[in-house]
Amino acid sequence: MKFVRVNMTDKTIKIEDVSPEYAGLGGRGLTSIMINNEVPPECDPLGPENKLIFAPGFLTGTSLVNTSRISVGAKSPLTRGIKESNAGGSIGASLGHLGITAIIVEGQAPDGDLSLLHIDERGEASLVPAQEYQGMRTYALVEKLLAAYGEKSSVMCIGPAGEYRLASASIQSTDVDGRPCRAAGRGGMGAVMGAKGLKALVVDQRGKNPDVITDPQAFKEAAKAVVEAVKADHMSAEVMPALGTAALVAPVNAMGAFPSYNATKGQLDGWEKISGEAMAEIIKERGGNTTHRGCDQCMIHCSNEYVDKDGKFITSSLEYETIWSMGGMTGITDLDVIARLDNLCDDIGLDTMNTGVAVAVAMDAGYKKFGDAEAAIEMVEEIGRGTEFGRILGNGPAAVGEHFNHPRVPVVKRQSIAAYDPRGMLGNGVTYATSPMGADHTAGNVVGAYLEKKLDPLNPEGQAETSRFLQIAMAAFDCMGQCFMASVALLHPDGFGAFQKLIEAKTGAKFEDGYFPFGMGTRILKAEKEFNRKAGLTKQDDRLPRFFYEEPLPPHNKVFVISDQELDGVLDF
Amino acid sequence: MKVKVKLYGTLSLQVPGYKPSQGMEVEIPDGATVKDLLAYLEILETRGAAVIANGRVLKADDKMQDGVSVDVFQSMQGG
Repeated sequence: MKFVRVNMTDKTIKIEDVSPEYAGLGGRGLTSIMINNEVPPECDPLGPENKLIFAPGFLTGTSLVNTSRISVGAKSPLTRGIKESNAGGSIGASLGHLGITAIIVEGQAPDGDLSLLHIDERGEASLVPAQEYQGMRTYALVEKLLAAYGEKSSVMCIGPAGEYRLASASIQSTDVDGRPCRAAGRGGMGAVMGAKGLKALVVDQRGKNPDVITDPQAFKEAAKAVVEAVKADHMSAEVMPALGTAALVAPVNAMGAFPSYNATKGQLDGWEKISGEAMAEIIKERGGNTTHRGCDQCMIHCSNEYVDKDGKFITSSLEYETIWSMGGMTGITDLDVIARLDNLCDDIGLDTMNTGVAVAVAMDAGYKKFGDAEAAIEMVEEIGRGTEFGRILGNGPAAVGEHFNHPRVPVVKRQSIAAYDPRGMLGNGVTYATSPMGADHTAGNVVGAYLEKKLDPLNPEGQAETSRFLQIAMAAFDCMGQCFMASVALLHPDGFGAFQKLIEAKTGAKFEDGYFPFGMGTRILKAEKEFNRKAGLTKQDDRLPRFFYEEPLPPHNKVFVISDQELDGVLDF
Repeated sequence: MKVKVKLYGTLSLQVPGYKPSQGMEVEIPDGATVKDLLAYLEILETRGAAVIANGRVLKADDKMQDGVSVDVFQSMQGG
């Protein structure tokens, strides 16, 4: 257990012990609590006072399945509040195998100065000049980095969007096949990395110094219970390997909650052409892979490899949220175009969701017509080239709305909503409004409660409570490095109990009943809310944009009806 | 009564000859519920089926209407 503290101003690296206040934390818990402790809340997110923290989950690097997530945290240049964005791939496990609890990037390199951080198989960290990689897109960059540092390396890096410090800039993460197609997409973490002058993080995968497990036998037993729960869950074990997250297109559209044409309709004309079922057919016909392991230690294999008509790789993995942002929101119903846009975003280093919604807002404002595939590709290319309009687009939907004086901008705290319209799924609206992260589906997605008939998506009753429960649980799972696809199989007392045992077995400490997820999740959310408050965010920032309250969404023709008072009570701990 | 059914996710794989573009028409007794329809289709509870008609997720004891079109999904928690 150790922190690697990297100062980009004077190019020094310090190795520190993990202080007791961070014991038992990893992932989002660690990044959020440390940011709240160490980052001045009113600082410039792109200035030297901000810190960029990379933290694998607390259980990442152990033998537990589906734990390869890494959290990236900082003050966000998009939301102006605290941000945790997490990614899969292989780098989380690589750091876990080296016993590295977090890398904390501080200070700021002089303008134009670019470095990469290399960590070798013994855990030795060094800053290396990276001027030669300036402006490079991520696929070409990773190819060069793997050639230089060896195939047994994991990479997180930025593309041109991060170097331009755009608010939609992502940090891309390599999958198990060494492609930068996983992303810590949300909240402009790539811009913070670019502002620090850090182009890439390269970590050797052959580390053999993971954290000690205090009670290996108890850990093994609890880990086995997790495997059994994931195997028994139809979503994790059956649907995800066959269709991946794209399986959600059909049911969410059928429920009338698939935000389409910049959230002016809840159902997309031609949705059948971009459904998970259609995607799987296309991939199979062309010889791609509908089932693919994208992340280390994954037993779900929700990823896919989308190929063109000649069987040539276009992107991995084509996901529900991207199909929605680049398809539903823009009215583009051609999966080949959507796959190309996904790959472009990965290559330029952009959040596909914020970018797709930015394109949709521009179309809604009359800049181009909905469904214009060529225009969408050109717009994203403009971001890559860094043109004036490209930079506006790359700063996300709110920046585009301001540019065109267009009021219909589906964001909360300037971050785009996800693929569930808050008027058709009220609970998702509660999560968008109240999550300290801004509009974020991973913070507490209520869709499962609707499909399982536990809750009526159009009835206000029970929405706030369900969102609160899920937000607490997800904050805790994000702390562990557990993949969302596996976490959902564990959203019950037995699953929570197994995780509490895993934490106790690793640390050797005993926690009070319900510590996981309630004690831990609440502690994380409290720190995040405190930071946001000190950064100047108010209750008014915990609201949806006006149009969700005023413009009825077809086909149900409902508006968002959860009261401000109820929203204010959701995370009022 | 007759009900038009479309199956999604991996549910379509369990019906031999099922064509996703066409769906299927099934005949079930008058007064049959969502639960009866799922039993007829041999879709087990454990597969988390969600039946949607006219934009609404139906409950297990909701009665089916003659001639209705339903979509049958497996429930999911998000993506």
